[in-house]
Formats: sequence, structure tokens, C-alpha cells
Amino acid sequence: MTETLLVELSKVGVRIGSTQILRDVDLEIRAGEVVGLFGANGAGKTTALRLMATLIRPAQGTGRVLGADLTSPERYDVRRRIGMIGHTPGIFPELTLGENLQYAARVAGVPTDRAGESLAAVGLAGASDRLAGASSHGMQRRTEFARELMIDRSLLLLDEPHSALDRDAVDLVEGLIARKAAEGGAVVVVSHDRDRINKIAHRSVELSGGTLS
Amino acid sequence: MTTGFWHQVTAVINRDLLRERRRGDVLWITIPFGAIALLLVPLAIGTDAILLRQIGPGMYWVIVMLFGVLVAVGKASSETLPQQDASALLGLDPAAGFVGRAASATLLLLIFETVVGLVAVGLYDVSIVGVPWLIITLLIVAIGLALLGTLTGSIVNSTSAGTALVPLLVAPLSVPLLLGATQSYEGLRLGHSILSWVLLMAAVVLVVAIIGVLTARPLQET
Amino acid sequence: MQAQTLNRRWPWVAIVLSLTIAFVFAMISPAADSLQGFERVRIMYVHVPAAWLAYLAFFVTFGGSVGYLITRNLRWDRIAAASAEIGVYFTGLAIALGMIWGKSTWGVWWTWDARLTLTAIMFFVYLGYLALRRTTDDSVLRAGRAAVLGVLGAVQIPLVHFSVIWWRGLHQGPSVVRADGPAIQDPLMLTALIVGVLAFTVVYVSLMVKRIELIHLEDRKAAIDQSIERPVAGEAVTVPDLGGSS
Repeated sequence: MTETLLVELSKVGVRIGSTQILRDVDLEIRAGEVVGLFGANGAGKTTALRLMATLIRPAQGTGRVLGADLTSPERYDVRRRIGMIGHTPGIFPELTLGENLQYAARVAGVPTDRAGESLAAVGLAGASDRLAGASSHGMQRRTEFARELMIDRSLLLLDEPHSALDRDAVDLVEGLIARKAAEGGAVVVVSHDRDRINKIAHRSVELSGGTLS
Repeated sequence: MTTGFWHQVTAVINRDLLRERRRGDVLWITIPFGAIALLLVPLAIGTDAILLRQIGPGMYWVIVMLFGVLVAVGKASSETLPQQDASALLGLDPAAGFVGRAASATLLLLIFETVVGLVAVGLYDVSIVGVPWLIITLLIVAIGLALLGTLTGSIVNSTSAGTALVPLLVAPLSVPLLLGATQSYEGLRLGHSILSWVLLMAAVVLVVAIIGVLTARPLQET
Repeated sequence: MQAQTLNRRWPWVAIVLSLTIAFVFAMISPAADSLQGFERVRIMYVHVPAAWLAYLAFFVTFGGSVGYLITRNLRWDRIAAASAEIGVYFTGLAIALGMIWGKSTWGVWWTWDARLTLTAIMFFVYLGYLALRRTTDDSVLRAGRAAVLGVLGAVQIPLVHFSVIWWRGLHQGPSVVRADGPAIQDPLMLTALIVGVLAFTVVYVSLMVKRIELIHLEDRKAAIDQSIERPVAGEAVTVPDLGGSS
């Protein structure tokens, strides 16, 4: 398998306003890798994920994700191939779990019948008509995983993926991570549960002082 | 703008209208608020029928402009950062997002204008004249306010002021629409041609639409 | 060093000189307006140039905003902001003088005629622009958002101008730029008005030069700030310590 570089960050710094969050970050992630990202509270882990998701521009250094320069308009073209599940669910509480997935399918340009299949795959087939706002945090998380199952992603960014999930859902998450790596994608997992992540990750990096080690 | 672009626009419209149907902010809060405002004015300035007939059309358009801001702002700024991130990573074209949000706001504003208009007719004895041109005026005003609200909502997104600043930004920018709408009604009432006013409002709408589409990507960056 | 000092002083010299010349012309122009009275008409020599300067300033804000959106160079943003600041002040001056003129001429402070009202609207548009700039200290975010609003606000400017023609309010029509030639027939009055407009243009340019000097200093400060290695945000978080001394 060709080891394609999916993420290349070189001396990248990120500032938000006048606050330096990341500094001199060097990171390369290849296809097929699962990388654990650890760090203390406030270390900038979420910022690092959003940077790799092309949602933040670097203030210093150079970065490419899926071949797209993080400072150029081409980063818009690769977003469809990047999945991210953050701390707070990015779904709409006024829509049902099924409607959230159908919306995602329409925007992403995938057949909407995949929504039902994906929801069933994460064990929520019977909850498709439940409002997301009336669903538990764990169910909302599962819905987000269903979204990532539905769409073909090359890079998956997961922020505390195990939080609020029951044992079955945890197995689902780890299965999804393994499958993505096997398909030639890459996964970056932020977590405080080092033991669990180190079992599934190929390697881990530590974010400290704004930089990676 | 490909077919994919319009599919995304449709998806955003469906999403926002569904959210409004479930939340009911516009239908159950903003519209009654606009109606109450029309009710309060005669209580403050007098209930003389002739006076109310004179000021009624203008009061109606002022209510549409001021409260229309709330309709447009509600739709434009009710996405949290995680929701915006999720939509961005679905490959949502920022311009499609803008057009979709403005379109759904337009539909809600048309409903607002219609219901509040009927209240104005009832309370102020305003006559309905030149129906075809009146409909065109209502439509253009709705589109213009929706575009302004959606665009300024995007402008203040991720700033500390948030939605509080939007009315201050939208209200003065909506004045050309206000003047065009009031002059159009007056022209219809007197039997004059209002084509120039309609074209003026259409020009404002066109400019805001172009600016909104062209700046959708830069405004998405946080 | 002396050349630098001269460089900093000349805008002030230019302002004083141009305003002095404008003042002289305003005072020596005849009191030809029998309706408005001898002295009242002289307000025009400040009111009209102030209004012209307001339009000019906001046009430059528009240009700076477009410049930033194209180049992403913060220098354009600072020019746009500087021009908006100057524009807001002179729009306020034009409105205030218009109100004084209106009170003495028509007996009311505010006439609700189209141009005066729309000028007031323009004033609020750019107040909103400055208010928006205050909502974030992220210079890139601020520049982008303000640039879009600067372009949007510029739509107002032609509307204010043409409103005199389209809505025909109490405000007198355009005095100089008309299809059938200037309404002011007395050459000295016309000259005084044109000199006033030129003088205020010099004032604007001079103020912009001084403001841009400040911009250079801000740029240098920003560059120094960027080069200083500051602690990253995460370093403020330390290991908790619940224990006291034993």
C-alpha cells in the first residue's frame, strides 16, 4: 500500500485573536494510520482537530490536508472527505435523528436511503423519528457516527469519541476506527483515556506547550 | 452553480423550515409581536380613523422592517459552531448555505407580511390597492430583508456582539426598501406608475444578493 | 530626522492653511441670498464641504474594504477603518450644521427631507461599522467582517445622492452638480463653495496621512507582538493541588 500523506503540518502555529494556541506543530499522518492525540485540558487538542479539519487557518507555518493547502481555497474542495465528531454534537435538535441524517445525505450528495441504513447500523433504527433534542447525548453521538458511516471519508477526526457511549456503542466506535484505517483512511482520536486509545492506535502524540511531541 | 449547488440550497431550505415548524419562533412569537405593535400605536397617538388611515401603511412597513429583522436574524444566527462545522464538513458550499437560509427567511417573511398586513387593514382601515404590484412589492421587500438579515447575521457570527448588533446594522441598510415600499403603496393609491420604485428595490436586492454570495466563503472563516 | 519631522508636520500645516483660505473666501463672498439672510448662508461653506468629505471618506472605506477582500492585506482594512472614523465625524458635522441651517431657515431643527434623513441613515450605517469593529480583537476576523459591511454600506452612498432628485424633499437640490449648470450664479459664491470643498479635501487627505502614520506604527507593533514568543494558552492550566501543608 502506498503510504500517502494525508496530513502534513510543518511548524504550524494557530492564533485565535491575540492568543497563541498552537506553536511549531509538526505532524504527518499517513493513510491507514490511527493516531491518538493526548494532552491536558486547554492544551489545544480541539484546535488541532479543527485545524486538520481545515476549519481554521494556520497563522504560522505550512499545512496540507488531503493535499490541500490550509491557507488556500482548495481546502473547501477536500472538506467533504473529512469527518469530525466533536465534544458537542453538530446536529440540529429540532430535527429528528433520521431527518438530521437525511439533511446530511442531501448536502453531501449521497443517496438519502443510506440515512436509514446508517442509523440501523448504529442501533438507532427504532429511534429515527425521535427529535434529536429529546434524545440522550449518547444517542446524538451515535447519530453522528451514523453520519460518518454514510459518507465516504478519507480522514476521521474524533474528539473524545467514547464519552457518553455505552459498551455496545464503544465497540461500534472502535470497529468504525479500525475499518476506516483498513480502508486506507486515517483517524485521529483525541481522548483522555490513554489505555483504551493505545490499544487501537498505531501511535500517539502528546500536545503540550502548544506543540506536539 | 451546479445542480449540486441547488440541491444543497433545497436541503438548507427544508432544514430551516422544518426547524421553524417545530420551534414556531416566527409564527408564535414574532408575528404576534408585530401585531401587538400595530395595536399599541393608536393607543399612544390617538384612534382618529382619518389619522390612522393616513399613517397605517407607513406604520405597517416600519413594523415589517423592524420585526422582519428578527425573522431574518433568527434564521441566520441560530446555528451553533458545531452545527456550522458539521455542515461545512458535509461539503456545504457557503454560498448555497447563504442562499438557502435567505430563501427560507423570505418564505417566513412573506407569511409575516401577510398576517401583519391583514392586522393593519383591520386596525387602520388601510385600503388594498393595485394587488398585483402590491404582491410584487411585498415579495421584493421580503427577499431584501431576508438577504440583509442573513448577510449581517453572517457578518456578526463569531463576534462578541452576536445577534444584538444585527438590528443596528440591518435597520439603516433597509431604509431604501422602506422608502421604496412606502412610495410604491402611495403611488398605487394615487394611480401612479411605481415601476421606478420597484426597480430601485430590485436593484438593492440584487446588490445585496451578489455581495452575499461572493462573500459567503470569506465570512465562513472564524 | 528633520525630514521626518517635516513629514509629520506638513498635514497640520496643510489643514490650517487650507481652512484659512476657505474661511477667507467664505467671509468675502457676498450675502446674495435674500431668503436665508446675510450670515446664515455662510453655514453652507462648511456644511456642503463636510457632506462632500463624508461621501469621499465612505467611498475610500468602500475601496479599502474591496482592497482587503482581494488582497487580504490588513493595511487596506486599517485604511478603510481610518476613513470611516473621519467620515463619521464629518457626517455628524454636516448633519449638525444642516440642523442649525434648517432651524434658522425653516424654523425646525429637523425637516425630514430626503437627503438630510438619508445622510443621518448613512451616519448610523457607519456607526454600525465602527461598532462591529469593536466586537472582536481578532484582527483578521474583524477585517473580513468589516470589509463586507463596508462594501454593503457603500450601496447607501449613491442612494443618498440621488434621493434629492427622486424624492424632492425640502432640502435644496444639488447646488453645483446639475444637468443645467450650477444653481449658484454669483461667481464669488461659487468660488467660495468650490474652495471650501477643495479645502476639506485637503483636510481629509491630511487627516488620512496622520492616521496612516499611526497605522504604520500599529503595523510595527503588531509585527513585534507576533515575533515575541508568548506562552501558549494551554500553559495557564496546571496540575491541580488540593493538599495543604502537612
